[in-house]
Amino acid sequence: MSQAIKPASGRAPTPLASLMPDAAKIHRLSALLTLLLLIAGFALASQAFFSVNNALTVLLQTSVIGLLGIGMTLVIITGGIDLSVGSVLALSGVGTAMAVKAGVPVGLAMALGVAIGAACGAVNGLVVTRAKIPPFVATLGMMLMARGLALQLTGAAPISQLGEAFGRLGNGALFRMVEMQPNGFPKVIFPGIPYPAILLAVVAVGAAYLLRRRQIGRHIYATGSNEEAARLSGVRVDQTKLYAYVMSGALAGLAGNVLMSRLVTAQPSEGVMYELDAIAAAVIGGASLSGGVGTVSGTMIGAFIIGILRNGLNMAGVSAFIQQIVIGAVVIGAVWIDQMRNRR
Amino acid sequence: MSQTPLVEMIGIEKHFGGVRAVDHVSLDLYPGEVVGVLGHNGAGKSCLMRILAGAMIPNAGEIRVNGKAVAFADPNDARAAGIETIYQTLALADHLDAPSNLFLGRELKTWFGNLDDARMLEESRKVLARLNPNFKNLSDPVSSLSGGQRQVIAIARAIYFDTKVLIMDEPTAALGPSETAMVADLIRQLQAEGIGILLVSHDMHDVFDLCNRVVVMNKGRLVGAHGIEEVSKDDVLSLIVKGELPADWSARNLEAAQ
Repeated sequence: MSQAIKPASGRAPTPLASLMPDAAKIHRLSALLTLLLLIAGFALASQAFFSVNNALTVLLQTSVIGLLGIGMTLVIITGGIDLSVGSVLALSGVGTAMAVKAGVPVGLAMALGVAIGAACGAVNGLVVTRAKIPPFVATLGMMLMARGLALQLTGAAPISQLGEAFGRLGNGALFRMVEMQPNGFPKVIFPGIPYPAILLAVVAVGAAYLLRRRQIGRHIYATGSNEEAARLSGVRVDQTKLYAYVMSGALAGLAGNVLMSRLVTAQPSEGVMYELDAIAAAVIGGASLSGGVGTVSGTMIGAFIIGILRNGLNMAGVSAFIQQIVIGAVVIGAVWIDQMRNRR
Repeated sequence: MSQTPLVEMIGIEKHFGGVRAVDHVSLDLYPGEVVGVLGHNGAGKSCLMRILAGAMIPNAGEIRVNGKAVAFADPNDARAAGIETIYQTLALADHLDAPSNLFLGRELKTWFGNLDDARMLEESRKVLARLNPNFKNLSDPVSSLSGGQRQVIAIARAIYFDTKVLIMDEPTAALGPSETAMVADLIRQLQAEGIGILLVSHDMHDVFDLCNRVVVMNKGRLVGAHGIEEVSKDDVLSLIVKGELPADWSARNLEAAQ
């Protein structure tokens, strides 16, 4: 028996094995390296890119994709996909704005927006687990329905004049330092850390904790890794999937609030194709569309790669059309590298 | 045997459309008994085992554990009743490591409700060492382990908890000779501890080596239930293939009794 079950040659014993970079860690490392190379490249190409102000702009821009990407990661790890996040983002933002217009306090209205997102996620989850509709189709349906509802409710017109309080989440910043100059104009000493970036950091840490340290996280991985095995082991796979879709919907709702707050306008046509950015962020970060693999930290790196690509290409004056081509190629490249790695 | 059976399955039926996968089958299992469950592929034995494991809900019939009627809605219910299953597919989540698989669905937690990975690792190390002293790759995803190591994890998972009944579906099909011997030793050991074992196997040698009784299924029906000393390998083969004992069986058995 010993010769049959002898540890594979070249494999370090347990204490060392945890230090050895496994495949997922290598992927994340290479993604991180790509991110740093991008930053270095753009910094050389443009003076304005490598500045505190621009860094904060990138943070702000990435926060929406990051929030969507975290929810998407949970769903992708279970072996599913959520195509509805862009539309749910719009519906939630519109819902919040309508509540604000109706006189509901901003905080409560935003909670309502998140709840609308969670409800959309719950419908996704129930259609996937109860009606056994494949996630691609179920969430494609929700993508159309949520967008349609957002457009119908608003008559396709943006809701504006939402007041200063509505804009605070998207435009406010912590530790912002402004000094009044003798000439009467304010001078910004430090622009502060934008609230959306802080929100993203909190959500990312929370989601990572959930995946690593809580039972539901373990079950999310198990469900995506081998659904039948998870079920036979007593994992309630339907509840686990439902949880992932609800989280994805709620985070889309939160992202919707952030985005609409930043614009201080609720746009029912906002967030089109955002689901693809979210999927790209997760995949670049090492999540596997066949399930069982993915991390929040990886997705964060993926989200920043996309955010920095967009920002840097903008700064370099590259057209939006070329940007699409570049990001599309990056997604394919990331998956290709991943597959090459797994094949060997 | 005057004791209460550990498990009684009474008049179990399972249909898929018009197909009767399990057709009014009754089966009981006593403490410390190893019962071989035999039959062709598709004879209904896996189906019957899945029903007992809570992975499939029967259309009719009753299951009693220690004399009390139970209804298993899912595998958790069966495991709570002390019925553990080692599936032929092993039912492991490939991306997770050995401790995560061992405790999947029954994770140990700290007071705060966090996963207690340190304790799960420690407990896994102990139970795996009992089965295979050389088992070391506890933090690797199980997809990177050998077939034998994966089998060991599946077995460890089934015996770690308070097991009363163990269903083993082809436990040695993927194993080499030395590992098969290890599983056979383990079965005898568990039997001595009073655990009842249902051994689904195609290996006639294993069955005659380990089992106290054999039950044979054919086309969804139970066609024979015999003490191992009452039948020969040819008799069992005849039950499996034709669904009946050879014509001369009762005469031979009578001779043997005299």
